[in-house]
Parts: sequence; C-alpha cells; structure tokens
Amino acid sequence: MPVIATRGATVSYGGRAVVRGVDLAVEPGEAVAVMGANGSGKSTLIKAVVGLVPLASGAIELFGVPQRRFRDWKRIGYVPQRTGAASGVPATAAEVVAQGRLGHRLLGLPQRRGDRDAVAQSLDEVGLADHAHCAVDTLSGGQQQRVLIARALATEPDVLIMDEPTVGVDAQTQAALAAVVADRIDAGCAVLLVTHELGPLTHRLDRAVVLADGRLVHDGAPPRPVGEHADPRHQHAHPHSNGESTDDLWGGK
Amino acid sequence: MSIFSYEFMQRALISALVVGLCAPAVGVFLVQKRLALIGDGLGHIALTGVAIGFLTGGSPMWTTLATTVVASIAMELLRSHSKTSGDVALAMMFYGGIAGGVYLTGIASDKGVANLQQYLFGSLLTAGWDEVWTIAVGGAAVALLMLVLRPWMSAVATDEQYARVAGLPVAGLNLLLLMTTAVVVSVSMRAVGLLLVSALLVIPVVTVQQFTRSFRATMYGGMAAGFLIAGAGILASAVQDVPPGATIVLIGVACFVATAAVASLARGLRRTRRGHLPPEGEPLEVELPRTEASGGPQATPKG
Repeated sequence: MPVIATRGATVSYGGRAVVRGVDLAVEPGEAVAVMGANGSGKSTLIKAVVGLVPLASGAIELFGVPQRRFRDWKRIGYVPQRTGAASGVPATAAEVVAQGRLGHRLLGLPQRRGDRDAVAQSLDEVGLADHAHCAVDTLSGGQQQRVLIARALATEPDVLIMDEPTVGVDAQTQAALAAVVADRIDAGCAVLLVTHELGPLTHRLDRAVVLADGRLVHDGAPPRPVGEHADPRHQHAHPHSNGESTDDLWGGK
Repeated sequence: MSIFSYEFMQRALISALVVGLCAPAVGVFLVQKRLALIGDGLGHIALTGVAIGFLTGGSPMWTTLATTVVASIAMELLRSHSKTSGDVALAMMFYGGIAGGVYLTGIASDKGVANLQQYLFGSLLTAGWDEVWTIAVGGAAVALLMLVLRPWMSAVATDEQYARVAGLPVAGLNLLLLMTTAVVVSVSMRAVGLLLVSALLVIPVVTVQQFTRSFRATMYGGMAAGFLIAGAGILASAVQDVPPGATIVLIGVACFVATAAVASLARGLRRTRRGHLPPEGEPLEVELPRTEASGGPQATPKG
C-alpha cells in the first residue's frame, strides 16, 4: 500500500489547470523528488497532497485512505516553504518544534516526557540543540529552515513532505540537512521532496518525477548531479561525524 | 490610599485589574495573527449591541456579548469561506457597528446619546457589584481557556497552513479566538470603553515582546504588564479625577514608547559590546567572479 497515491490529480486556480492529471505513488520508505521549473506545478501538487488546495478532479489517498477522510495527520511531517522572516510575537526554536508534537497530544493537555524528548532530539538532529531557547527571528535563514525541518521530524512521521526545503540555504547547510533526511530514510521514513535544483540529497533519492506545465513528463531514475556536486573532492559534511565544530559546520559563521 | 475606602473605587480597581490581566491573554494571539485591530472592530460592533440593550431594555453587557459573538462568527465565516480580505471585513465592521449603534440609539431616543458615551469611553466608577462579578467570571474563563490552549492557539496563529496539515482543528480554534475576543470586548467596555478596548488587548503584548524571546514569556509577561498598567491607570485617574479608561490607555502607550526606545538602545549596546555578528543573510544566487582568477578590477573607478 503506497504512502501517497494520486490518481489523475488535477488542480486549477481560477479555471486554469496548474496540475493536470498527475499519477504518483510513493511507497513506504521510498524517497521521491518532484522536480520541474518554476511554475510547473510542483508546489501546487504537494499542497494538494497535504490538503491545502482542493482537487478539481482525480483522487488522492494517504496511507490507503481517501485524503478527505484521512485523520491520522501525525504520520505526516510537513515542511512548508519558508515564508520570509518570522514575524509577530517571538517564539523560541523549541516552541516552534514543539508544534510538531501537537498532533500527538490531546487538546488542552500538557506536554509529556515523550513530547519533550522528541523535541530535544530533533533539535539535536538538525544541530540546533544549543539554539533551542533562541528566538526564531534572531536565527539566520538557514537556521530557520532547520527549525522547520526539526518540527516535521519531531512528529516522528512515516512520510516527510518537504516543499523546497533547501531554498535560500547555503551549500554546507544543504549537505547537513541532506544527512539528517538520509538518516530518516535509512530508518524507513518515506520522503516526498519538492526541489528545483540538484542538491546533496540527490544520491539518496530512489526516484524523481519531473513536472512540466502541470503534467508528469518523467518518472524514474533521479537525474545525476553534475558540476560542483559531481566533483569527487566535493565533501558531503555529516553532522554526526564531527561533534565539536557543529556551529561552523552548520554555517553559523 | 484613602480613596480606596470608597466602594466604587474598589469595584473600579477590581474590574480594571481583571481586564488588564485577561485581555492580553487573548491579545497575544491576535497580535501574532496580525489581527491587532479586530478588537477595535468588535468594539464598534459592540456599540450596536449596547444600542440593542437600550432598545430592548435588557442589560447592555449581555446584549453586547450576544451581538459581538454573532458578529465574530459571521466574520470568521466570511474570512474562511469567501474572498473577502481581512481588512475589508474589518472596515465593514467599523462602519456597520458605528452606524448600527447610532441608528438604534436614535430609535430608542428616550435613553439619549449621552448614555452611549459611557460605553464609548468607559465608566468604571458606575459599575455595580454584579457587573464586577460578570467581568471577573468572564475574564477568568477567557484567560484560563487561552492558557490551557496556548500551544494549539499559537500554532494556528503562527502558521495556519502548517496547523491544518498537522491535523489541528483550525476552524474551531479560529472561531474560539474570535469568540473569546468578543467576550473580552464585552466585559472590558466598562473599564476602558469600546473605542479603547483594543488597547488593552494589544499594548501589553507589544510592550513586553520587545524583550521576550518565547511565546510563553510574551503571554505571561503581557498579562502581568496589562495588570500593572490597568492598576496604575486606576490609581492615577483617581488621584487626578480624570476618566480611568483614557488614563489606562495613555499609560500603556507611554510604556510601549519607553520600552521600544530602551529595547532598541539595549540591542545596539549588546551588539557593540559582545561584538555579535548580525545573522548571516541569504546566500547570493549568483556566482561572483573570482578576483584572483579574473585578474583585474573591471569595475573599480580610478582616481
């Protein structure tokens, strides 16, 4: 049973079809990238999968359940596109990551030990354990992106759905994030990732689908990295291999 | 403090302190949702509610509560189910609320517009004990609800789309927030008046958030600040014999301006003293020509 299955998924904004009849299946533990140029409909497809935009036609199933009747949202870790600077009332990184546990908690009940542990662990995984009590809007763009990923990880999901998680993130951080996600893939978590560029995670992908003009034009082997990333000297830094200088590794300058 | 031997002064102090404590508990979510003016919008709607009270002979506080709750439900449905943008809906509330209030007061002209004024600008000193009790119970219920639901409410207020994917009852929580706002507006109209209600929702929160780093600290700090501001306002107004609502709001605005100045000064000092680097910017999306490779200052002006 696929984790995510779309059949003939069509989304239109104001009468214009942005996603046209996309069939896509993500099996448990599989890592799939959705690629395509700007405006190809890849982000819209992801939003339709998680139910943020309605389908014009077609069907989406999550864990074998029609999406409209799906209630087990804590099996999904969602990383939205980062929208500029954090605003309004300050919140610490730990508070934002704790949002990832709300699906596990009963409305109105306090955090339990398991919730706190999951928050601490996912902050540690993305290398922000020292920044748990920093206000998010004082963090750099790359660090904010890591907070959003930690929030999804804290959900302890069976599938990670990420919308351009590496946009505006420097190369070092991208490599470190790729390592974090790769760990989850190894642990059996499926990944559906929107990206418009080849990055350090590419070699961990099982498949890539390419959208053009809302249609699926490729479903198969991920494109090979070229250029800088194909360079054998190019190092994919791994956060767990180097505990001391995590700050530098994570691009903390 | 001999003025507080008068019972009406005790009542005024208690109601102001309760409102000062409870309003920021709701206001912190409104500020986060960028709905800081919604309190004012509901305050205008409340004017219609007060007029309905005049017209029907009912207690204005209860008719106001009913009107603002209905209005907040209508607002939320409008916001979530139509293309009406937030500020258009807010504008409609401002116009419709005032017009409805004046129109209905005109019909019930025997009570007069003079009566309306005490709701517009607050009239703590004329509140009776039963009214104080209503304020205390309503305020306590709202504050308790917001404290218990803080993580869920803040998740919805911060990022509604994420909250939906996380499976939170977003529509219900949004509605709850507007309804609790309506309750706060209705119970605090005596304290600061309908035109100034928004101030107690917003000012304590935006004052403390200059110094806080966490949502929780902002919420608790805002409640404490609201409590102190309201208390100080009542004291000052009693000493000088001026309207308490306006005094409370003026003290709040002064606190905000002072803390904003101090905070920006403190930030500047901290930066220079610790030599903190500012957060790194977004990486450049272009590749800069390497200076040693390109071997020439193409763009350097000479002379």
